[in-house]
Amino acid sequence: MKNFKTIFKFELDNYFKSKSYMLLTIIIALIAATLMFIPRIVDSVKGEDDTKDSGVESEVNEEDLRNMAIYNPEGLGDMEMLAGYFSDAKFTECTSAEEVKKLVEDEKAEGGFVIKSSTEFDFYVFNKSMDNDDMEVFTEYMRMVVKMEYCEANNLNLEEYLAVEYAEINVNENILGKDGMQNYWYCYILVILVFMVIIAYGTTIASGITNEKSNRSIEILVTSTSTTALLFGKVLAGVVAAVFQFGLIGAASIGSYQINKDYLPNMLGMFLDIPGEVLLTFAIFGIGGFLFYAFLYGALGALVSKIEDLNKTAGSAQMIIMIVYMVTLFGIMDPDSILMKICSYLPISSYSAMFARVAMGSVAMWEIVLSAVLLYASVIGMGILGGKIFRNSTLRYGNPIKLSNALKNLKKED
Amino acid sequence: MKLELKNIKKSFEEKEVLHGVSFSVESGRALGLLGRNGAGKTTTMRIIMDVFRANEGEVLLDGKKFKPDGSQVGYLPEERGLYPKKVVKEQMMYLAMLRGMTKKEAAKSTAKWLEKLQVSEYTDKKLETLSKGNQQKVQLAATLVGEPEIVILDEPFSGLDPVNSQILKDVITELISEGRIVIFSSHQMSYVEEFCEDIAIINHGDVVLSGNLDEIKEQYGKGRKILSANNYDLEGLKALCEDKLADKVKVLFVTKHYVVLDLNDGADQWQILDALKTLNVDVKTFGAYEPSLNDIFVSKVGEEVVVEEEETPEEATPKKKGLFGKGGK
Repeated sequence: MKNFKTIFKFELDNYFKSKSYMLLTIIIALIAATLMFIPRIVDSVKGEDDTKDSGVESEVNEEDLRNMAIYNPEGLGDMEMLAGYFSDAKFTECTSAEEVKKLVEDEKAEGGFVIKSSTEFDFYVFNKSMDNDDMEVFTEYMRMVVKMEYCEANNLNLEEYLAVEYAEINVNENILGKDGMQNYWYCYILVILVFMVIIAYGTTIASGITNEKSNRSIEILVTSTSTTALLFGKVLAGVVAAVFQFGLIGAASIGSYQINKDYLPNMLGMFLDIPGEVLLTFAIFGIGGFLFYAFLYGALGALVSKIEDLNKTAGSAQMIIMIVYMVTLFGIMDPDSILMKICSYLPISSYSAMFARVAMGSVAMWEIVLSAVLLYASVIGMGILGGKIFRNSTLRYGNPIKLSNALKNLKKED
Repeated sequence: MKLELKNIKKSFEEKEVLHGVSFSVESGRALGLLGRNGAGKTTTMRIIMDVFRANEGEVLLDGKKFKPDGSQVGYLPEERGLYPKKVVKEQMMYLAMLRGMTKKEAAKSTAKWLEKLQVSEYTDKKLETLSKGNQQKVQLAATLVGEPEIVILDEPFSGLDPVNSQILKDVITELISEGRIVIFSSHQMSYVEEFCEDIAIINHGDVVLSGNLDEIKEQYGKGRKILSANNYDLEGLKALCEDKLADKVKVLFVTKHYVVLDLNDGADQWQILDALKTLNVDVKTFGAYEPSLNDIFVSKVGEEVVVEEEETPEEATPKKKGLFGKGGK
């Protein structure tokens, strides 16, 4: 492994001196960090405006209200109460169902309701957006109308009735294991992240080697130093560059989230409020898995002489990565299944399966340690095997060499 | 220092491409490693550099198994290759450091070789911005930047104009005079004749001829004469010799200026001259035949019927008849 340091430094410099790499990293990190500050900034600006312009606020809001239409021939319910349910809308009372429909068709009203009875209404909307919940809100309103009618008919006090229906129950939740609900989303995001990193950087490492073969600089390199040192230097530089890039973006996002937590929607916490131990497990297994596949990609890059042949040769590795990705994504729902347990020990899949089990299921420490040892031993094995394939294939030009043939040649040489 | 290859055999998959290559080269001497495309030269070079492992045989340096550590061998590949988008100095220093130099030594050696090859003005330029000839010189500088004891040059003159060729000649002469081992492969025989004291011709994975070039030439010229006449063209002279002098000589071949004859047993030059006089041939030139390396090469590897060029998988260049192939001289 003589020269490893020189190769590693040279390859890493290639990444850090690449304008596209640095710009992309810094810009994405800045955007991620800035986005988290936006609600805080908007809030402070809005706060100032509130104190300055409180007098005209209601006037402005009046103009901003959405137009809705309603036809209520039997006069059910109460328009004031309805306004409480639709605080962002004003209602035009129509004289027929046709009028409601026309207003909606002409897009003069965003939605329209025709009340047929206290338990039936028609809802009209022109184009329904994904987040349109007008029908559900109106349904709630109608339920309240039914309750009001019931209380009135039975001589009951509505407030008392509602107090019983919505009686406050105090719950003290004590999760002794993992909170699957809370962990699911960041686990999901991290599985996708490691998949993306392996595919993106694996291909970069492989194409870098194929390029060196294609422009023949490999001729000089392999005659100047050992192929194992070359492969280790290239792969580890790629891994460090990837960890730096995604680490910086991740740190900017999570750090900025922590600073602005109080101003951001709670939903973001499901993605960004990641416990330290989960991040540590992710780092250990994610980097191990990435290294394993990076060495494989490096060897595959040496099997072809032209970039256009790389996809064909790397296809088998990509297929394995895709299968592992799908199995883990579905396995997150049932992290203690037999399939996930098996996958969490196999070096080709433990990088995401074991991580998912740690985040979502029950795993003993010895299982984590065993899986990590197996993974890192395989990484070293793959590095040595990759180095040998690299050595045997790197100066053989022409048609792509099949991985099976490359392995057969190794056997012969041994 | 003496580098020896002993009975090197190498197979790729099921095909044996080297069938027992042996030759040797010493310090301060250059060896011309010759052969047609796909003959096995590059595979032999890569085995010397330990990039490929021989299936049989051994490479020895001063009688001990040779295991190059990167600093000992400088290789100029036929297919040139450096990083086109990197600055010249950066990649030269990188290669020097890979061959065991410290950063300081690498910088010093980089400056020295770029200056020697007269490309120091391009030190801080990206390689792709240089002309082909200058890229070639940078490539040679990169070969020598590690101050190797053994220098392997594969077609070093291809792509160079006469001025740059002279610069390169001076550098190679200096390398030889400094006592380094130089292995030189080229299809331009004049360069091989100029630098190499020894040659090894490889054909289809076998060394078909090796040894001291002067001795080989002497051996090839022995008993052979050249003949030209003022009153016959070369074809006419050839026909006359074949018709009237068949008992004394055999016509070997015709060059641009002479008919080359091989004296039959018992015949001597005076008998030939007498016979020519009798036949009224106005002799312009008659003397000892000194074969060129080109003639020797053609006679060893160029006159076979080429069924299929034997290419090693790593030398899968487009198939074409060799420069010295049948009828292609």
